[in-house]
Amino acid sequence: MDLAVIPRNLHFLLGGLVLTLELAAISLLGGFLLGILMGLGRLSSRKWIYYPATLYVNFFRSLPLILVIFWFYFMVPIIIGRPLGDFLSAIIAFIAFEAAYFAEIVRAGVQSIPQGQVMAGYSTGLGYYETMRNIVLPQALKNMVPPIVTQCVIIFQDTSLAYVIGLKEFLRRIYLVDSRELRSVELYLFAGFVYLVFCSIGTITSRRLEKRQIGR
Amino acid sequence: MIQIKNVSKWYGEFQVLRDVNEEVKQGQTVVVCGPSGSGKSTLLRCINGLEPFQRGEIIVDGVSVSDPATNLYRLRTEIGMVFQRFELYPHMTALQNITLAPMKVRKKSRREAEDHAMKLLERVGIPEKAHEHPANLSGGQQQRVAIARSLAMEPKIMMFDEPTSALDPEMIKEVLDVMVNLSTGGMTMIVVTHEMGFAREVAEEIIFMDEGSIIERGTDISFFKNPTSPRTKDFLDKILI
Repeated sequence: MDLAVIPRNLHFLLGGLVLTLELAAISLLGGFLLGILMGLGRLSSRKWIYYPATLYVNFFRSLPLILVIFWFYFMVPIIIGRPLGDFLSAIIAFIAFEAAYFAEIVRAGVQSIPQGQVMAGYSTGLGYYETMRNIVLPQALKNMVPPIVTQCVIIFQDTSLAYVIGLKEFLRRIYLVDSRELRSVELYLFAGFVYLVFCSIGTITSRRLEKRQIGR
Repeated sequence: MIQIKNVSKWYGEFQVLRDVNEEVKQGQTVVVCGPSGSGKSTLLRCINGLEPFQRGEIIVDGVSVSDPATNLYRLRTEIGMVFQRFELYPHMTALQNITLAPMKVRKKSRREAEDHAMKLLERVGIPEKAHEHPANLSGGQQQRVAIARSLAMEPKIMMFDEPTSALDPEMIKEVLDVMVNLSTGGMTMIVVTHEMGFAREVAEEIIFMDEGSIIERGTDISFFKNPTSPRTKDFLDKILI
């Protein structure tokens, strides 16, 4: 074991970790917002909203993420006529893909709120948007916290797949350092440790939030 | 104020309302009773457009509910509704429950909405509970907040869907008292309930529904003494004991 390889390359590796966190955070935010729209679309009684949203969700949920990343990397430049760059195209792929999963979380969360709450809102003259925003979503969000945190952890791990289009995120940089220094055991143990720490933070946060919810 | 003309409604093959006719005049209180599944709640939800119906017409304050040109959201601000299970918003305080719609729909300022809400909470007898969440209120208190929430929109009509059925016996009276006050104060009301004491006291008309149709109607206590159909007699025997 020669753990000195890690401090020696720490700056380079941390740069990758920052990139990984950025990718995860932006995918999470974008995927969640798009997921709310798609999830509500899945609950719509209007067919012209319901079917496209359902098609979207089923489509992306039936594809491996790595394929989606490839697609956006190679196909978007053909459509818009210029390359997007690896980071941007990875972001778009992640948002599109994760939105499908968030949509199902949102759908289940909204369905967990009794129909009577919606009726109460409507009966006082509130419209669909106001009822969702003020009555249903705040309650549904609380129920959604545990699956959302789980999804965050998954997104964080999934970002490593962006290596296929050459994005130098954390795991990719581990690989690059290894090919120069030939210290596979130390480097991959370190990588595992870093993933473990970040995912544990997620899991602990989730448990805290769940407990706080029960305490209310 | 409300005219219901030959209204029929189906859930798929199943007919929930059969040719229902009823008129509620301004200031009247109409009590609707009948066994569960007889279409009472469905009728209420048709009146404020929460559920569609396939045949007939309902006219509320001169506006046809089923007319596609009718703004249902606007219409609903004229009709307050109180539910069996209260349906207070659990993530908001009593005061926030009451002020939400006036602020969002009527565009009242927070100050104005809260002043009005406090007056309503005093009217239903629990101003001290303004900043409590529903989970910290008893069933009777929750239902009174729910009534205040409906009144906050200053509706012309109030509908009650079994408002005391989910309450412990000792809390029923506090809710009924509020409703009696409303009724004697001139509110137009439709009340689905089996509280026959309440019906005796304030109802101008009592209708009895079974299997989607109105099979009996009476103006006062005569309804209880001489029911014309055996079905009604059977039911009244059960609820009057």
